[in-house]
Amino acid sequence: MRVRSSLVPAALALMALVVGACSSGSTTNNESGTLTVWLMDGSAPDSVVQGVNKDFNAKYPNVTVKVELQKWGEIGTKLDTAFAGSTPPDVVELGNTLVAKYAAAGALADETSKKSSYENSSSWLQSLTDSCTVGGKLYCIPYYAGSRAIIYRKDIFAKASVTQLPDSLDGLLSVGQKLMEANRLDSGFSAFYFPGKYWYAALPFIWDFGGDIATQSGGQWKGQLDSSGSQAGLLALNGLVSKLSRADRQGDEAKQDQAFAQGRIAMIVANGWEIGVILDAKSGGDPSLKDKLGVFPIPSHNPGQSAPVFLGGSDLGIAAKSKNQGLANDWVRLLAGAKYQNQMATVGKVIPNTTTLLGLNDSDPLIGTFARAAKNSRFVPNSPNWANVEASNVIPDMLVNVFTGRVSFNDAIRTASDKVAQILNAKS
Amino acid sequence: MCAATNTDTLLREEPRHRVLGLIAGRRLRKRAAPYFLVAPAVAAIAAILAYPLCLLAVLSLQHYGIRQLFAHQGVWVGIDNYWSLLGDAAFRAVVLRTLIFTFANVAATLVLGTLIALLMERVLPVLRLVVMAGLVLVWATPVVVAVDMWQWMFDYEFGIVNYALTHAGLGNFIHHSWFDNPIQGFTVIGIVIVWGAIPFVTVTLYAGLTQVPREIVEAAEVDGAGPLQVFRYVTVPVLRPIFVILATLSTIWDFQAFNQVWIMLNARPSADYMVMGVYSFVQAFKVSQYGEGAAIAVVMVVVLLLATAFYIRSYLRQAVGGLEGA
Repeated sequence: MRVRSSLVPAALALMALVVGACSSGSTTNNESGTLTVWLMDGSAPDSVVQGVNKDFNAKYPNVTVKVELQKWGEIGTKLDTAFAGSTPPDVVELGNTLVAKYAAAGALADETSKKSSYENSSSWLQSLTDSCTVGGKLYCIPYYAGSRAIIYRKDIFAKASVTQLPDSLDGLLSVGQKLMEANRLDSGFSAFYFPGKYWYAALPFIWDFGGDIATQSGGQWKGQLDSSGSQAGLLALNGLVSKLSRADRQGDEAKQDQAFAQGRIAMIVANGWEIGVILDAKSGGDPSLKDKLGVFPIPSHNPGQSAPVFLGGSDLGIAAKSKNQGLANDWVRLLAGAKYQNQMATVGKVIPNTTTLLGLNDSDPLIGTFARAAKNSRFVPNSPNWANVEASNVIPDMLVNVFTGRVSFNDAIRTASDKVAQILNAKS
Repeated sequence: MCAATNTDTLLREEPRHRVLGLIAGRRLRKRAAPYFLVAPAVAAIAAILAYPLCLLAVLSLQHYGIRQLFAHQGVWVGIDNYWSLLGDAAFRAVVLRTLIFTFANVAATLVLGTLIALLMERVLPVLRLVVMAGLVLVWATPVVVAVDMWQWMFDYEFGIVNYALTHAGLGNFIHHSWFDNPIQGFTVIGIVIVWGAIPFVTVTLYAGLTQVPREIVEAAEVDGAGPLQVFRYVTVPVLRPIFVILATLSTIWDFQAFNQVWIMLNARPSADYMVMGVYSFVQAFKVSQYGEGAAIAVVMVVVLLLATAFYIRSYLRQAVGGLEGA
């Protein structure tokens, strides 16, 4: 989900650890060994990882913490291999849609009895807690969340004399058309840039009209992508895409921030942290856009309301096979605790794992909108098989078929809906 | 050819030994010697090829999901994985697509490779050197790096292909997606595959061309054969064994094309772009159905065997022909 320039080389983490070990005056614990932690590339700022390790080593001066950064693209394969081995990493960051798969397969330690020992566990974000809960048991610790809103260019809006931000889907369309008209000479201009496979950004439109991916009754999943609500949402989105977007209908969102920074796009659907990418020259962004960016929530078709968004995010799991359960618990307690969650929000610009810290970025005109959007959020079907729906690209394929029109709309949604149900109902 | 000569010698020696009535032990030793010599190679092949293949076959007969993976214990299901593949229309489409795509790539590789080899034979040595250097550079580029570069060139947003085509006045290719239409998409991927496959074919064929006896060509020309006839009746028959080998190898390589499809489509190929190698990988390593993925791989081996049966028969005919001729 999150792709950002690589952060902490393991050496830095080690250095922090050595420094931490030297400066800690009182030895509180004699345990020794190595604690291996897998974090996703770009999830925690360097300073947070270093801080956690420093605090950890103050308590366990003889334990070496190895933080290894993983890429989102190949994480499924790496996790399968790691958990199948006898020495998996002790702590793993898992995308919240992946947890059910590994928890149900017995890869993660059951944390139910220790829940209350984690700080803020009573105020964790419900959606993240739900993603950690399989069969009524808690298999991971909420880490952070991310939600999407629309990032727009204030200057492009102003130049097209758009003074009012859209507060409904119709408003979004008419503002977009005004922008397209004002920039009609630029054949590469997109008022609302929407790459075809960007399914996280398509879900709000489906949910807004009462549609869904799948629903469960009596233990059986039923595909809902072809329900009337989903159809209405997809048709509305298709209207926006066909009229306002010149993004690759076959492409994904991986490069959308770089494209946005080129200046020929007025709006994108994005995560809060993507603002950093847009402004970072090193990752292909443009720092001069700093005062030209604005954010508003994805509008609902009901005027004045915003659409429910997909709550992405990550959880921290502890491997069932880990021989360092106690150490792993303590390391996770630090990263998931208030001190570092505070920094995750203020430095990392993500949504922290507890409602008590949700207001941290409220005054930030950009990031605040994302945090507020998270309050009206939804999640994908919580099934051990969900990860396979993602891996099979069912929803991106459906979107590509709808946007390109190379398969009839009805065929596209029916095929996708059947495939979702088939995968979710399969024995794992 | 080498093999044929050796067998030949053995065959001729055999009766003589019998006539001389050599003692059985010595014969046994003599007979055993080749097996001793070949043993290390056989052992190595068994360890790195036969054993994994055997495991693959066993795996394909099990339900092996992620739970089984973590428990190191599959559930025996017999040929269920194969049955469900046979009944799966999507899988049949994948097989057909793979066969057509492979055939097109092999044909394009061989035709272009032959043409370039013929060209190299005829141009000035300095130009030949340039062409050869270019081919070797292509050959030396690691596949992943090369495919990444092709992906950039065909990029929807920033790609140079769209830019160049538009500025060359060939139409409006700004924001042209090469992968919207699968036929166009496969053409692009095919170009990448053929581009990477041509150097080996060309260099091998060029080496072969230098072995075509000059005097036969001249004799044909004296008899009034034009260039096409010389190619058809002199060059092709001489190069036939090389063509057979190249066609076999190309078929094997192109049939299992993975990197080109996977990287060109950002590691998220849609259903239209599933070829067997990619499909097997996705089912096994992305969807974590390792049993089913293994079954697909086994089917792949079988289809590949059938597809190359033609060439293998050619080999055998040549080998047998060599024996009979001696």
